[in-house]
Amino acid sequence: MSWRKLIIIFFVAAWFLPTMLFAYQSPGKAQGFVNDFAGVFKDEEKQSLEQKLSAYEKQSGNEIAVVSVASLQGDTIENFAVELFKDWGIGKKEKDNGVLLLFSLEDRKIRIEVGYGLEGSLTDAQSYWIIRDIITPGFREGNYGATINEATDKIISALSGEILPEAPVESNSKKFNFWRIIENTWWLFLIIGNGVAIWLGRTKSWWLGGVLGGISGIIIGLVIASLVVGIITTLGLTILGLILDYFLSKKGYGKNRKGPGGGFFIGGFGGGSSGSSSSGFGGFGGGSSGGGGSSGSW
Amino acid sequence: MKKTGLIIIAIVAVIGIFLWSSYNSLVSRNESADNQWAKVETQYQRRFDLIPNLVEAVKGAMSQEQKVFGDLAEARSRYSGAQTANEKAGAASEVESAFSRLLVVMENYPQLKSIDTVQTLMAQLEGSENRISVERSRYNDEIKSYNLVIKRFPGNLVASMFGYSVRNYFQAEAGSENAPKVDLQVK
Repeated sequence: MSWRKLIIIFFVAAWFLPTMLFAYQSPGKAQGFVNDFAGVFKDEEKQSLEQKLSAYEKQSGNEIAVVSVASLQGDTIENFAVELFKDWGIGKKEKDNGVLLLFSLEDRKIRIEVGYGLEGSLTDAQSYWIIRDIITPGFREGNYGATINEATDKIISALSGEILPEAPVESNSKKFNFWRIIENTWWLFLIIGNGVAIWLGRTKSWWLGGVLGGISGIIIGLVIASLVVGIITTLGLTILGLILDYFLSKKGYGKNRKGPGGGFFIGGFGGGSSGSSSSGFGGFGGGSSGGGGSSGSW
Repeated sequence: MKKTGLIIIAIVAVIGIFLWSSYNSLVSRNESADNQWAKVETQYQRRFDLIPNLVEAVKGAMSQEQKVFGDLAEARSRYSGAQTANEKAGAASEVESAFSRLLVVMENYPQLKSIDTVQTLMAQLEGSENRISVERSRYNDEIKSYNLVIKRFPGNLVASMFGYSVRNYFQAEAGSENAPKVDLQVK
């Protein structure tokens, strides 16, 4: 192994080390509404629970996640719950309508963590009584499946006060979102930019880039419909265009090419969006919580 | 001649774009820290609104503990009089410590724990305590990213140019992180 490789590995390790020192460690990716990492549910219990929660999500839009872990690894249940909630994004993004029911076998701790949007209908006190009256006695007898089933029923009936009448719609996807479009079409800009750069390089003029920059600035200003942004982008892009053309004309970029087909910028950009969908569960909606709910032990 | 002119324009443009973007990031970080602080205050308010209910519920049984109730009321009125974020944080810690003294005293009255109202109120208070600590640590995260921009090299020039200065972390009063908890579990 060469020195260079060792150095790279060292830096990568140094980058990740601090994150590994935190007490919270993600138990993994969400498999569905029920995530039995500790393996306490029977198969049919898990299935019926999953069906119930998934049907409830379709009907109301509220996402209830049930998670069991073997151990909290020294973390507190409150911190673990809030981190896991954030990690998975339980609940819809704008509504924050998620509930996390988390318990750890080794620590004998349970927590109901409530998303911001549901704090009004599933209060701390209600969560406390659900834990005290249903979960604690049930878990002491070792009836995990039946207890959680009953507890989720109670949670659902507590939440029914706040169910929205219409079917849940992703509000984000329908809106015209300028940045979303830029995000998805940036590669197009690169190809166009590359073509333009080659063209600018071929023409000997030093001013054409500035004119093009100014025009793009005006267009951006019109699209965003803001005078200030328009003026700034027009000025900025004119100057940038001038500089660009100056260097391109000088260097004669693209002069030796047959046509504007070269992928100058393209390549080396991996990734993109990764859709994680397995067996009907499309992942949680990106909701967040702020420590609402209640904890208990058994 | 033309060449030097262009180089000057280029340098000015680069500096302008740099100033623009770093000023904007300062503003937005400052703004999100303010926003996060507002969330902390909301949770404080919620907590301090709950305290009188608990006091009301336990007062009868604890008639000889007037000093604790007096301290608590005084600390609360100091919080409502506080203006800046730092003053509020300080006054809030006082309320917290007065409140934790009440919880300690409550330990001497085990009959209180079996009252449902008291249990409900305690659950609400614990819930709000947890919310406060969550929002508080998120506030500190915001302050951290804001302060990093302000302290690191190019950002510090821009910050001093526009009068942005380092902001304080929220620090809980020494000892308040291990505030005594009342164990409500029925054994």
